[in-house]
Amino acid sequence: MGKVRRLVLDVLKPLEPTIIELAEQLSVLPGVEAVNISIYEIDRRVENAKVTIEGSDLHYENIGRIIQENGGTVHSIDEVVAGKIIIDDSVTPQDPYQG
Amino acid sequence: MSPLLRLGSHVQWLREQGALANIGEIARRYFAMNAFDGVLTIIGVLMGHYSAQVRSSSIVLVTGLSTCVAIGISGLWGAYLTESAERKRDLTELESYTLTDLSQTKIGQASRTAVVIVALVDGLAPFLAALIVLLPFFFTALWEDIAISYYSSLGLALASLFLLGAFLGKVSRENLIISGVKMIGAGLVAILISYLLRITGV
Repeated sequence: MGKVRRLVLDVLKPLEPTIIELAEQLSVLPGVEAVNISIYEIDRRVENAKVTIEGSDLHYENIGRIIQENGGTVHSIDEVVAGKIIIDDSVTPQDPYQG
Repeated sequence: MSPLLRLGSHVQWLREQGALANIGEIARRYFAMNAFDGVLTIIGVLMGHYSAQVRSSSIVLVTGLSTCVAIGISGLWGAYLTESAERKRDLTELESYTLTDLSQTKIGQASRTAVVIVALVDGLAPFLAALIVLLPFFFTALWEDIAISYYSSLGLALASLFLLGAFLGKVSRENLIISGVKMIGAGLVAILISYLLRITGV
C-alpha cells in the first residue's frame, strides 16, 4: 500500500478554535511533517480554509478526526499525492491559461 | 503519567476550554455581581436582627446560614438554567452555519464545561461572601458580647465590598481605591436605610 504524502483539503470551520490551534494539532500527528492553513473566505461565525498537509505517511482518518473535533467539516479533498516522492500535476494544453 | 503531569494536562485542558467558551470573562462578571448580592443580602439580614434587638448569635447564624444556602442555590440553579439555555442557542446557531452536529466537538464540550463552571461560580460566590460576613458570629462566645459580632460582621461586609470593588477596578484598570470606595457606598446605603427603618419604627 502506497503512502500518502500530501493532502489538500477544503475545510469549513468555526472561527474558534483558531487555525493556529488547528495547525498545531495537525502538525503533531504521526507521519505529518508540515501543515499550511490559509483562509480564503470569512463569515460571521465560520471560515473556509485550505488545509495543506505534507509528510512521510499521512492518515486521512486521523486528520479528519482532528478537524471534526475542532468543529470543522471537510468539504472536499482537492489534491492528494501518494508514492515515494511528491510530484505536482503536469501542465497540459487543456489547462486554463494562468499567465 | 505522574500526578503532576496529569494535573498539568487537566489545567491545559481547562485553559483551552476556557478560551473556547470565553469562560473567564463571564465567570468574572458573575462572581463580582453575585458576591456583591451575597454581601448586601447578609447586611440586610444583620441589620434586621440588630434592629429587632436579637441577642442570640445562634438565631443570627441559623437565619444567616439559611440565607447563604438560599442565595447559593438560587445562583447555582439560576445560572445553570440560563447559561445552558444561552449556550445551547449559541451552539445551535453555529451548527446552522456548519451544518454539522457540534455537540461532540471541542466547542460542544467547552460549552458544557462553561455551564458547570459558571453555575458553580454563580452559586459559590454569594454563598462564600455571605459566609465570610457571618464569621464573627461563630466566635461570639469568645468575646461574650454580641454587639462586637454585629460590628465586626458589618466591618467585614464593608471590607469585602471594598475588595470586590478593588477587584472590579483591577478588571477595568481603574483606580482600585476609588472603585472599592464606590462599592462600600452601596453597603453604607443599605446599612443607613435599615437603620432609618429602625428609627421610624417600621
